[in-house]
Amino acid sequence: MTTISRPRLIGPGINRVDGPLKVTGRAPYPNDFAYPGMVHAVLVRSTAGAGRITEIDTTAAERSPGVVSVLTHLNAGPLARGPMTPLGVSPPAPLQDDAILHYGQIVAVAVAETFEEATEAAYAVRVGYADEPAVLDLDDPRAKVRTNPWGRDADRGDVPVALAGAEVVVDETYLTVDNTNNPMGPLTTVARWEGDTLVVNNSTQWASLEGAALAAAFGIPEESVHVVAPYVGGGFGAGLRVWQHVVLAALAARVTGRPVKLVLTRPQMFTACGHRPKGRQRVRLGATREGALVAVQHEARTASAVDDDNFEPTASVSATAYACPNVITRDVQARLNVPVPNSMRGPGTATGNYALECAMDELAYRLGMDPLELRLRNDAAVHPPTGLPWSSRAHKECLERGAELFGWSRRTHEPRSMREDGLLVGYGLAAVGYPWFRARCSARATIRRDGTAYVCSAGTEIGNGAYTVLVQLSAEALGLDPGQVTFGLGDSTMPMAPQTGGSSLTGAVGSAAHEACRALVGAFTDLVADDGDSPLRGCTADDVEPADGALRRRDDPAVHESYRDILARHHRPDLSADGESTPLTADELGMAPAGAFGAKYVEVRVDPDLGRIRVARALSVIDGGRIVNEKTARSQIIGGTVGGIGMALFEETVSDPGSGRIANATLGDYIVPVNADIPDMQVEFAGSWDRANPVGTKGIGEIGLVGLAPAIANAVFHATGRRIRSLPITLDQLL
Amino acid sequence: MRPFTYVRAHEVGTALAEAEADSRADFLAGGTTQLDLMKDGVLRPDRLIDITRLPLHGIEERQGALIVGALVTMEELAADPVAGRRLPLVREALLRSASVQLRNMATIGGNLLQRTRCRYFRDPTVAACNKRDRGSGCAAVHGSHRTHAVLGTSEHCIATHASDVAVTLVALDAVVHISGAAGDRKVPLTGFYRTPGDTPDVENDLRPGELIAAVEIPLLPEGARSDYLKVRDRSSYEFALASAAVAVGLGADRRIEWARVGLGGVATVPWRAVEAEAVLTGSPADGEVFASAAAAAVAGAEPRPQNAFKVDLAQRTLVRTLQTVTGAGS
Amino acid sequence: MTLQAKPHAEESLPQTEFTLRVNGRDHPLRTDARLTLLDALHDRLGLTGTKKGCDQGTCGACTVHVDGRRVLSCLTLAAQCDEREIATVEGLGTEDELHPVQRAFLEHDAFQCGYCTPGQIMSALGLMAEGRAGSPDEIREYMSGNICRCGAYQNIVAAIRDVAGTEDGGRADDVPQAEGGRP
Repeated sequence: MTTISRPRLIGPGINRVDGPLKVTGRAPYPNDFAYPGMVHAVLVRSTAGAGRITEIDTTAAERSPGVVSVLTHLNAGPLARGPMTPLGVSPPAPLQDDAILHYGQIVAVAVAETFEEATEAAYAVRVGYADEPAVLDLDDPRAKVRTNPWGRDADRGDVPVALAGAEVVVDETYLTVDNTNNPMGPLTTVARWEGDTLVVNNSTQWASLEGAALAAAFGIPEESVHVVAPYVGGGFGAGLRVWQHVVLAALAARVTGRPVKLVLTRPQMFTACGHRPKGRQRVRLGATREGALVAVQHEARTASAVDDDNFEPTASVSATAYACPNVITRDVQARLNVPVPNSMRGPGTATGNYALECAMDELAYRLGMDPLELRLRNDAAVHPPTGLPWSSRAHKECLERGAELFGWSRRTHEPRSMREDGLLVGYGLAAVGYPWFRARCSARATIRRDGTAYVCSAGTEIGNGAYTVLVQLSAEALGLDPGQVTFGLGDSTMPMAPQTGGSSLTGAVGSAAHEACRALVGAFTDLVADDGDSPLRGCTADDVEPADGALRRRDDPAVHESYRDILARHHRPDLSADGESTPLTADELGMAPAGAFGAKYVEVRVDPDLGRIRVARALSVIDGGRIVNEKTARSQIIGGTVGGIGMALFEETVSDPGSGRIANATLGDYIVPVNADIPDMQVEFAGSWDRANPVGTKGIGEIGLVGLAPAIANAVFHATGRRIRSLPITLDQLL
Repeated sequence: MRPFTYVRAHEVGTALAEAEADSRADFLAGGTTQLDLMKDGVLRPDRLIDITRLPLHGIEERQGALIVGALVTMEELAADPVAGRRLPLVREALLRSASVQLRNMATIGGNLLQRTRCRYFRDPTVAACNKRDRGSGCAAVHGSHRTHAVLGTSEHCIATHASDVAVTLVALDAVVHISGAAGDRKVPLTGFYRTPGDTPDVENDLRPGELIAAVEIPLLPEGARSDYLKVRDRSSYEFALASAAVAVGLGADRRIEWARVGLGGVATVPWRAVEAEAVLTGSPADGEVFASAAAAAVAGAEPRPQNAFKVDLAQRTLVRTLQTVTGAGS
Repeated sequence: MTLQAKPHAEESLPQTEFTLRVNGRDHPLRTDARLTLLDALHDRLGLTGTKKGCDQGTCGACTVHVDGRRVLSCLTLAAQCDEREIATVEGLGTEDELHPVQRAFLEHDAFQCGYCTPGQIMSALGLMAEGRAGSPDEIREYMSGNICRCGAYQNIVAAIRDVAGTEDGGRADDVPQAEGGRP
């Protein structure tokens, strides 16, 4: 029996509702769409790292077979920049002038009848440059610097005094490198104009923003842009912004009067749609001999683009991680001639947590203390900056349960003290948290004459399981079986939804859908308010509860009427209602809304001669609040773990000195984990229903990745005695 | 990709005639290097001669050798029972290469001719590449070169030869059977490859229009011990940072009667380490000898800042492989 | 400056004619010889289940079977496949009647975004036909040509084990001994 009273913490792991489409290859991704008369667009990119275009010769390209059009800054015409977003300004409008801000910048677009012809035409475009020195180094004095870019810098207590008086101090610097999101689906835009309406099939994690930005670019009303993205081939942040190629596909469609398909090539995926920026972090920790933190000072300097913003709050991780009276965090961005950085799974947090949790491990060793004990001793029982209670927090439970499941007690403290089969064995851990984020969201719920429901919102499915968990939440709110509910996503004409990002989608859309479903129940009680034939006559929404395709009186569950009967008697084909959710602030809640917490435990094996590192086991214990679907939630965590193993051991976007050209922009050269790299990973959920969210969830899209890098780095230290303070940790560093 | 005419040859003679008639024609076999480089704009033939249907698909044991048709795929050779029994290091090298899908496409002939993974070579928007354009310079020397070669390099080119199986084949004294319009010839694989010198664009002894028809691999004597060890950043589907192919004959007194050593991932050509073989031959199978042999193997190395570790890693890889095949611990 | 769409340039490109036999059905094609098997399937024949992940032979998303062997369609010319038997995901089950491997992928949640999934499934079928589902480690090694950025590897292994009946410590002849060897 279905009920909207609080369901159990871990929801049933039903199969993905979109699974049959995906396993048969029938789920339509943006590059699967084709239209009559469609032409293909291929980008031409800058081969200078900074400077100006001095000449651009498209003669040969225009004569190339099949060519329909070649766009450059000389003929693109004015395009407006997209709107301000919670992530900062929109990317600059493309092809507006001769300025080159980074190697790989889009300088032309070739449009031809076929992909092969467009590719060859793009090859034929000749561009001359007046090079200027590219600013590529974080410490280059020519780089413009943004201080406190997100207003998150923390100042608590008196850090200098506390550090000076601390009995034990750690002061270390950690380096992270550029990583590239590389979702498997190359970002694609298929654009076409139907009269004055622009319709795009697009790889996006934010259909609503896409509509607004394209409307701004072309100076048309937002209602004239229709973004369609029912399925997206992953994103990990790459789909969070309205990139230049999206605008250019729409421009090419307008210029040619034909539908245009533009698929980024894999090398272009390294320059055209963001990446996790490199950074340097200095962490100072002061503690008593007993291991109580007395001071935390965390400073981060990360890369940003010359003319764009990216959201990468890194040092601010340390403002809330531990109970400590004296805390300073400082985030600084250096504007460099690099492709635009952007969010990549766990932006800022993955790197900030890496530095902090490595430093905590170093502190534990200076104290001669079990690294687990150090974390437990400094647990932030309340929200450190405000002293407010958390809306939910099972951090200690995660750490303790993890230690038990992992067999942490078998660990011997000394580095290089554990061996098996001739390999060095290391255990490492990291405590993790992911900041709470929520945004306004709307949804619409409909029940049809046959008793089935359709709920929709403009959120996006990127592999997160959105279709499935939203069906489950809606079914629960309407008292239906999941099989009776369809959820619509990925269409900008649906009620507005925020990004699939910040681990916020289930909370946002789930809450909005919940509100829409509640409103729909109210619409039904309104419909029968004066209906003498209805057993529910006179009931308000609060008097009934949905169950088994019907509404029943709370005071007398035997009295009920089905949605179908109500609609039939009132000759209604269906009934709809809208819902909106607006997150409450900490003040309104009287508590600190909590994101997910967790503990990561890793065992590595290191070949003492060859330096080869292999992750032998990885355990994640996650407090994600209520887990709607155990199966898809587990997948989120193991998937994040794989990404974290990549960040820790493999992934580095390498740039050429001088130009900033990316030197390894293929999946053969930019190494991501393959199946053989991945051990069986264990996932456990802990905690309780979160009090800040009507549906009890906290969002777990990112916390799966966070903490793997420090847990692995700490395990490598434990195995080898070598403290590697940069990522990725590769075998050459251990020889 | 530049437009090209596609033709399919069913007989070797036809294929050679097609190639002779057009100096801008290329052969197409498995395509895993050829098409990849055509997409990158590095190779721009105006004619592709599909040779996949030539009768060069056989594997035959003849007079103590395995004669492998050039079009035998990597998976097919790995599955061959004689290769499995008598050339286990070849099989191991094949199975550690690329992925199953690529091994189902790539042919043995094509594998020997595969081009370097150097990203400067593979990106024609980079002007400086002596291998693509002789005299244009080498961007890798001052660029990103962690995966580049330390052996057989020159100031003009440090691109690594990427093949695994070729490393075992040079160690085994394999012979390439070449067909050309001017006739057939046989070339020992050790003499087939050219280190870059000041002509990095010349990679091997193959003349224009010639075709590899087969590879003759002498079988290891019964009782030989051998292995191929590949070390890389991730566990699979990646090129070697360093690899070692070793075959030895071990006497009853645990002396090494003969030794064959190849190194991969560290050299501009599949590397035959004759200096290491000289140290090993006649010496006891012990750690000290292995270390001397490894040091001899890399004595001529020219490391650069990002790939200096390969000098060390190559030695460790070779020592480990010698330990494994001889059963002698460190 | 306003751009006018130009008419299709009239230069003639070398064309090639051949027949693609896909999932048992013949498709005669006359096309630019540059067309890859991947683009022929996806763009010309509308068989969009075969995916382009890299177009460089580095990800496995475009895996199909040619004459019963798993290969990468992005590095195969369509014209090369004249008279060959090509099998794609469309030749397996339907949403209502899934192939056992598709069913296992669904049950084990062996995918997330789903983009690499058709390639994973075609590769899994190849792996089983090759007799390489003998142990979890063997599956991992021989599925390593298919990258999944969502990180569903563990569930992919579970799905294949389910269909192949792979036992825990099963045969693992072809797996490197803890690659990098053991001292």
